[in-house]
Amino acid sequence: MALIEFADFSFKYLGADSLALKRIKLIIDEGEYVVLTGPSGCGKTTFCRAINALVPQFHRGYVAGNVYTDGKNTRENEVATFASVAGLVFQNPENQLVTLDVEKEIAFGPENLGVAPAEIRRRVEELIELLDLEELREKHPHEMSGGEQQRVAIAATLALKPKVLVADEPTSNLDPKSAETILEIFAHLNKRGMAVVLVEHRLDLVARDASRIILMNKGRIVADGNPREILAMDLCEEIGVGVPKATQVYKRLRTRGVDLRNVPLTGVELAELVQEATSQ
Amino acid sequence: MSFLEVFQYTRQDSIMHRLDPRSKLVLSIVCAAVSMMFMEIIPLLMVFICLLPMIAAAKSLGRWAKSMKGLASLLVFVLVFNTLLSPVENPLSYSLSLAIRLVALMTSFSLFFLTVQPDQLSQALIQMRVKFEFAFAMSMAMRYVPTLGQEAYAIMDAQRARGVELDKGNLIKRIRNVIPIIVPLIIVSIRRALSIAESMESRGFGASENRTYMEMLRFGKWDWALALSSLMVLILVIYVRFFVGLPGWMLWNLPF
Repeated sequence: MALIEFADFSFKYLGADSLALKRIKLIIDEGEYVVLTGPSGCGKTTFCRAINALVPQFHRGYVAGNVYTDGKNTRENEVATFASVAGLVFQNPENQLVTLDVEKEIAFGPENLGVAPAEIRRRVEELIELLDLEELREKHPHEMSGGEQQRVAIAATLALKPKVLVADEPTSNLDPKSAETILEIFAHLNKRGMAVVLVEHRLDLVARDASRIILMNKGRIVADGNPREILAMDLCEEIGVGVPKATQVYKRLRTRGVDLRNVPLTGVELAELVQEATSQ
Repeated sequence: MSFLEVFQYTRQDSIMHRLDPRSKLVLSIVCAAVSMMFMEIIPLLMVFICLLPMIAAAKSLGRWAKSMKGLASLLVFVLVFNTLLSPVENPLSYSLSLAIRLVALMTSFSLFFLTVQPDQLSQALIQMRVKFEFAFAMSMAMRYVPTLGQEAYAIMDAQRARGVELDKGNLIKRIRNVIPIIVPLIIVSIRRALSIAESMESRGFGASENRTYMEMLRFGKWDWALALSSLMVLILVIYVRFFVGLPGWMLWNLPF
């Protein structure tokens, strides 16, 4: 069974003029690392919300087609049903921290679902360890930096033991160093078997971790596949996706008739491929 | 407004901090009630002297002293005006007791607010059978006060940059100046509230009828001891005050 299945799903927000999502059809399986990208207003956020039923249960509007998350139809089940299946991390960390300290924040989700106190305590300790939150344990959210807040928000989401972590531009309010830390956490979680759906513009940071890239434009999926294939396409430049520097160099070389054996995603890969090509 | 600091929770490890909020609530209310019952200098001073070691037990004497310094001008005001204006026989004595009473009242309540974290307060309310949603709304309000404050400052800066003169003009103009701050603040807050709701909804807020709590407050033997002894003191004081009458030396007044 697919973890997430979009079956010809379309959605229009109440009062909006055009569809936010147009006949989306796709399947995401367990263990995948999907990076979703595209220009602003292309429907990425709506896509994320559709995974855990925020669309159409919390944000109402016109709906056609269905989304099945873990086999359950999002049109027929409440958002809370999906809390322990799809964990959402949002753009603004401040708005995700609703209690006054880290422990309470992590406990908030499982408490809502009625998990036994001893089990909640165990998860809290485990996540504080996993996300390196020990020093923040006693801090008020207001005293933390954006990156620290976002780490707490991720821990709070993971406390529900979701099968997929869906993150909607989690790094856009953060400085480069914190952004990198957050993205490392996602890569690490994915290695431990969790599926990740990440909306991200800084492809140079995530392309090598991703198992799949989906390009969206104007509510449609315009490309979907292996990161190297997708980033090599000229479509990326046409719709304004930030292609990694190394891949840009590859494309320039290609137009000048130099064909490298593979599409590089990082500087190191590019160097190796160039070395290989010149030594022949 | 530095005297308000005495009502702000400070994280500390002390005997007072470890007690259950409910027993501290009883203590605070009893102290406040006792100081409301007397109008004579000596009994009020006695209440005040009893309160000091408790503040010390909360390791907050420094903070308390600082707040009292902030309160000093208000106390002088109370003293001077009451002495000049009150129609009683010995106005200075009367206003002195008013001032001591004010300090005692503030200290009583600060004992509670200094040592109870807002989250603990909402947990206490929940365990006193207040609905979770209401108690949580209260602790969330506390949570977002600094955030909204910061936002208000950002809006004020933005409006100043556009030429709104916030601190100029007469009273009416100044009141009207609030509008360009309040309107954006409300709009921003509503947006923020939506986004917070989205996040809470995603984490199963209100999902289960049987919400659990990682930590329940426990009313231990020290809490019983504190609450019961406070109540006994209250009963004793009421008895003495209304049925026996204070001994003569306690009724002592300043001669003017």
